[in-house]
Amino acid sequence: MKLSPFVRLALALVMLFSVGLVPALAECDGEVIELEFMNWWGAAREVLMDTLIGHFEAENPCVKVINQVQPWDNRAELLATAAASSNPPGIIMSTRPETYQFAINGLIIPIDAFVEAHATDLSVFYDGEIGLQYWNGELYGLPMPTAGGLTGLMIYNKNLLRDAGFDPEDPPETWQELEEMAAAITVADAMGIDVLGAAAFGTDSEFVAWLYTNNGKYVTEDGRTLLFNSPEGLETLEWMLNLTNNVNHGTLNITDFFQDTAFAQGDHPFYEDKQAFLHINTSFFGHFNVNDPDGYADTESWGTMLRPYNGDNPDAHSAGTTGYNYSGAWAYTIPAVHPPEMQEAAFKFAEFIGVHPQGGCAFLFAQSRPSPVQECNENPAYYDVNPYWSVVLEGLALDTPVQITPVQGQLSEILSNNIAEAYHGVKSPADALNDAHAEMQELLDEFWAEFDAENM
Amino acid sequence: MAQASIKAKPDQSDATWKTRFQEWWFRNRALIGFAFIFPWFAGFIIFDALPFIYNLYLSFTDYQIGTRGVPPWIGFENYIEIFTDDKLFGKSMYNTVYYLGFSVPLRLIFAFLVALILNLRVRGMELYRTLFYVPSVVPLVAATVIFAGFLNTRYGFLNQFLVLIGAAPVRWLSSPDAIKPSLILLSLWGFGGQMIIFLAGLQGIPEDLYEAAAIDGGTGWHRLLYITLPLMTPTIFFNLLLGLIGGFQIFEQVFILIGTNGGPLQAGLVYMLHVYNKAFRDFEFGYSAALSVILFLIIFVLTIMLVYTSNRWVFYGDAQDDDS
Repeated sequence: MKLSPFVRLALALVMLFSVGLVPALAECDGEVIELEFMNWWGAAREVLMDTLIGHFEAENPCVKVINQVQPWDNRAELLATAAASSNPPGIIMSTRPETYQFAINGLIIPIDAFVEAHATDLSVFYDGEIGLQYWNGELYGLPMPTAGGLTGLMIYNKNLLRDAGFDPEDPPETWQELEEMAAAITVADAMGIDVLGAAAFGTDSEFVAWLYTNNGKYVTEDGRTLLFNSPEGLETLEWMLNLTNNVNHGTLNITDFFQDTAFAQGDHPFYEDKQAFLHINTSFFGHFNVNDPDGYADTESWGTMLRPYNGDNPDAHSAGTTGYNYSGAWAYTIPAVHPPEMQEAAFKFAEFIGVHPQGGCAFLFAQSRPSPVQECNENPAYYDVNPYWSVVLEGLALDTPVQITPVQGQLSEILSNNIAEAYHGVKSPADALNDAHAEMQELLDEFWAEFDAENM
Repeated sequence: MAQASIKAKPDQSDATWKTRFQEWWFRNRALIGFAFIFPWFAGFIIFDALPFIYNLYLSFTDYQIGTRGVPPWIGFENYIEIFTDDKLFGKSMYNTVYYLGFSVPLRLIFAFLVALILNLRVRGMELYRTLFYVPSVVPLVAATVIFAGFLNTRYGFLNQFLVLIGAAPVRWLSSPDAIKPSLILLSLWGFGGQMIIFLAGLQGIPEDLYEAAAIDGGTGWHRLLYITLPLMTPTIFFNLLLGLIGGFQIFEQVFILIGTNGGPLQAGLVYMLHVYNKAFRDFEFGYSAALSVILFLIIFVLTIMLVYTSNRWVFYGDAQDDDS
């Protein structure tokens, strides 16, 4: 069903306001608490967040939320200095590794007591989503948006498939089909790749995502033993290298092809019919709609599919991962240094974002992306704003949570560097995985030894 | 008479006041001098000296983000780990020294040559000088973003030009082999500051020396080699020193162009990026402090060595008089 951008916007607004127009602010009969909200919901999302805050303040007149949208550049620096300062913001939007890091250093408080006091129903969340926000058995934040849907979904350009002689309604299901189609679509010239079929980037997060589509695992469920240098891991890396070297003529072509582009901006090759298969996260739909509204409206020109699996492995299936990627698993965490009344206000706001229909639910609906609250995603209006909603839900259902630790940043760098060395021919795939595994496991063992010593 | 005496009194009074003020000023000139430099001195203590001392202290601790109270003292553990277990210490130092080894001399030579040209007496020279200096006032971030587009493999101006003249395009920012040369190329952009200093130095060379050389039959090359270069050595030394100190601390350009990981195979991972990653990605502030102390020591030792050896190659003009 084709909908004009205007109709979609109108639908989004109807959804936003259907749950009740922002009522006039009630009077606060006590002291108003000002809550600084440090977040990264910039660009088109800022207005949506302001609406969400408006709804919250209408219900909680004694809390004034100050929407402090931060620039993406220098994010780590801003976050670390804010969290460690003696006067941090009232509530902080952080990724899972950061949440763990803050938790382990006592910078933020667990919210279990608030959950109990407010009788917050955590069962509304997908298990895989709320589960990612626990560290050492304590809950540190409520999730929004989903960590899932980050790696299991792909979007594809039907026109490019059609032009190459493939049925655009029959996207590839296996690695082998993907490789065949990508080879037929890719066009290269003296300057590099002009039209790209598919890419498998030489990064750790890309490797881990493909690993799960070959029935492999990154780590054990307790997060203590790394498992990626398995036969499945090796097969995955070798296939990624084959695709890169045989179809895309080397990793440098891929780096060049995506130089200075981002799908959050309008200059991404997908918007220009220059890329057939794109790995996305669920924020893509909103960005696509904003950056290329005509393209988004023309659902005959693009489709959504699940990440292909290894057709040669009988145990493999389409899959995605949640919580591995650095930019996934966002939550809203409460600094430890604030007085109880401020923390209480922060929790009320975090709860509103997390579970209230006018909170994350409406906020994410307006971006055509799923919510970590299952019930929100069952809204039939989603099919009007996102024609491939059923595939998105299917993708979410296939996601596997990956356990990580506060040293994930360092582990990720080691794995990424070794994979890059394999991509640049410095190491064989087997050596890259084994070397990475040895170094990473040593670091992980060191972390757990220290952790266990402190918590015994 | 009465009128005259009335007039004379304020004059005398003024004179007395002025004299007293001058005497007070003279007596307290040291104090007044200190008062004038106090704002800078206070800034130096608060924003440079104290953070430096605190950083030095942190380098001996296991200071993590959020460590409340006194961070645990671990002695030289951070330093030992850096020298024995940190693969990226050597890599980032190599990348930085490689960058320095080429960018500092190239920038010096380029700035010097341009200053020589701009020192010529031709019409409209003020305009040329301004034009050459303008890039130096463009903020580094803006210049780097422009360069990112300029160096884009597929659409960048540089490769489009190379292809136009029949040369092969270069993967400036995607090939591990080209990243450091790209950074060196970018470093030339800000040569204007050094150029201005060179220009000031060139204009300080007495004209009669050139005239004397011309009378003795000295060619332009001779004048450059035997007059200009020796008399410019203090300026060259100054620019070299600042170039080295600044080069060791290269950060923003790399951060913007290739990100915190240092690009493919970490070929662009310079030392300050490593310090940054340890602090703000891994939250190991104690370790990061130790890394920055090592950088300080390297720069400090190098500066001392340069100052020490400068007696042999920097000509300050009065040495000859002393010898005679």
